[in-house]
Amino acid sequence: MESSVELSSSLPPPRSRIFKIIVIGDSGVGKTCLTYRFCAGKFPDKTEATIGVDFREKVIEIDGEKIKVQLWDTAGQERFRKSMVQHYYRNVHAIVFVYDITNAVSFQSLPAWIEECRQHSLGQDVPRILVGNKCDLRGAARVSTDVAQKFADSHSMPLFETSAKSPGDNDHVEAIFMTVAHKLKSQKPLALSQPPSGDGTVPLKKPTEDRGGYSCSC
Amino acid sequence: MDMRKSRSESGASPLDGGSGRHHDWDSKRRRKMAEISQALSVTPVDVATLRRMAISEGGLLSDEIRRKVWPKLLNVQMDNLPEKPGEELRVNNKDYNQVLLDVRRSLRRFPPGMPDEQREGLQEELIDIILHVLQRNPQLHYYQGYHDIVVTFLLVVGERLATILVEKLSTHHLRDFMDPTMDNTKHILNYLMPIIDRVNPEVHDFMQQAEVGTIFALSWLITWFGHVLSDFRHVVRLYDFFLACHPLMPIYFAAVIVLYREEEVLECECDMASVHHLLSQIPQDLPYELLISRAGDLFVQFPPSELAREAAAQQEERTAASTFKDFELASTQQRPDTVLRRRRKEQVVAGREPGAVPKVAAGVVAVVRPRARRFVRLAVMGLTVALGAAALAVVNTALEWAPKLDLQLFP
Ligand SMILES: Nc1nc2c(ncn2[C@@H]2O[C@H](COP(=O)(O)OP(=O)(O)OP(=O)(O)O)[C@@H](O)[C@H]2O)c(=O)[nH]1
Ligand SMILES: [Mg+2]
Repeated sequence: MESSVELSSSLPPPRSRIFKIIVIGDSGVGKTCLTYRFCAGKFPDKTEATIGVDFREKVIEIDGEKIKVQLWDTAGQERFRKSMVQHYYRNVHAIVFVYDITNAVSFQSLPAWIEECRQHSLGQDVPRILVGNKCDLRGAARVSTDVAQKFADSHSMPLFETSAKSPGDNDHVEAIFMTVAHKLKSQKPLALSQPPSGDGTVPLKKPTEDRGGYSCSC
Repeated sequence: MDMRKSRSESGASPLDGGSGRHHDWDSKRRRKMAEISQALSVTPVDVATLRRMAISEGGLLSDEIRRKVWPKLLNVQMDNLPEKPGEELRVNNKDYNQVLLDVRRSLRRFPPGMPDEQREGLQEELIDIILHVLQRNPQLHYYQGYHDIVVTFLLVVGERLATILVEKLSTHHLRDFMDPTMDNTKHILNYLMPIIDRVNPEVHDFMQQAEVGTIFALSWLITWFGHVLSDFRHVVRLYDFFLACHPLMPIYFAAVIVLYREEEVLECECDMASVHHLLSQIPQDLPYELLISRAGDLFVQFPPSELAREAAAQQEERTAASTFKDFELASTQQRPDTVLRRRRKEQVVAGREPGAVPKVAAGVVAVVRPRARRFVRLAVMGLTVALGAAALAVVNTALEWAPKLDLQLFP
């Protein structure tokens, strides 16, 4: 198709890379708060139930390279996962599993979430981390660090315990996401470049039957 | 509850005109109020007019009027309001935790100046209403966002009336969203792209290419925009509209919003993240009256029946039969007799002759249309009056629906 030739023959200079990270876990564990804390640098005054998928992003710099980190904050209620959130599992570069240390059920749900990712054919090579949130409520903890660590080990992922609300160290949440970004940067030097899209608009032709011919990998 | 009142009542013109137009609007408004009172005072209540009022410019004007008209639009009897539920409602309820979590976080749905104590009281009532409806209807499943709809009713009509209105709504308009899975909801979302395609194929193709999907509109649809609009006046205005219309109207409205933003969309980077982000941030200053009339227009031009096949083709073949059951809402047991059926068929033929101007006006159809179908006709007629569209389109549309309704209602 002619437009695809256009696209590939006039490549603009490479743009910043994008790391796409999906954040999942039961409703109420603090996914929205964590992603907000990372992108906006503070705990939100008010959150609301996430319906479907919310998107947040932040540009970070690693070794002088500007990288866009996209966080896909998903709905926790089970009914949304099955048919709705699917679409967003595609092409993710990393997964952040979140549970609430004061809520044992949210920890017990983790195997189901992991299975969910497996079903969306996100293999072991996609970096995954486990985050135990709400550590400011230590006194009310229902999930011990030991148990969580064992679980994380058995799934070969690192565990981070933190608090979106008042992390002992203010940059802790940021540090966690940065760890993921570093990992991604070292792992996939080239594979993650953003597809070129010129001035931001893609030349579009009238609709044709074979849209598949479009080599738009956006 | 003075608080509630002041929130969604506004004497200002919805058209934001100059003072001359303001004066115009004042007299229009007064006329409209008189018409509504008149429609309410006759026996049986003139639901057709109420529908028209709810759709047309300015909607139902005030919460005081809404308290009277919303029950009529939902065909709800007000004589046996439910008793205040007891404590047992919260014990062993599978949805209680989720409801609690969502209602606790719903602070933004309440008027900013409301004292905490009052808000907390209302939040408790909100939980009660939701659990009450769920308990009485075990076939219904709670979804996050349901609370955004219920809170709107609570704030406008108060706890007891809200309970019955919401129950009716849940077993009709919201029924598909409350299935055990969201498959039917997904199916309804599948109407979005075909509508956009009819109006602006460029926008459609751009969105397809970005693979943005339709989840950006999910919360719009299942909360009737209650989750995303911060001005309560806009929310209730839309509720007037949706309560008076076909249950798929919110998806037409969603399409209209996307189409209204066509330039922004086309200027956006063509990837999922950018387009999803752009579209999910709904502008708060949308021209609601204009968009409402456009949505009505699109509905008349591209009725669901016409889009159904394309929508189904978006995924596996499936029919959301329950969506269409809503027509029963205004129906009674009255069955069409054969004479009426035959006359209707004749009209179908007349109406379909290419280029022929049908001799039937909407008023005539009213006479021959069986009661069960009146819901359809009225909804469309309301739109028509609001939009000033030709009766021609109305007649055709209503007739096209007829076969489907026959199957649904008179097996
Ligand atoms: N104490 C404490 N509370 C937190 C923390 N993180 C989140 N919360 C609270 O937990 C509740 C849920 O947080 P959200 O971020 O909305 O939860 P979510 O995981 O996004 O939930 P869904 O959108 O329903 O899936 C809110 O009331 C937050 O204020 C934390 O680190 N400490
Ligand atoms: Mg959330």
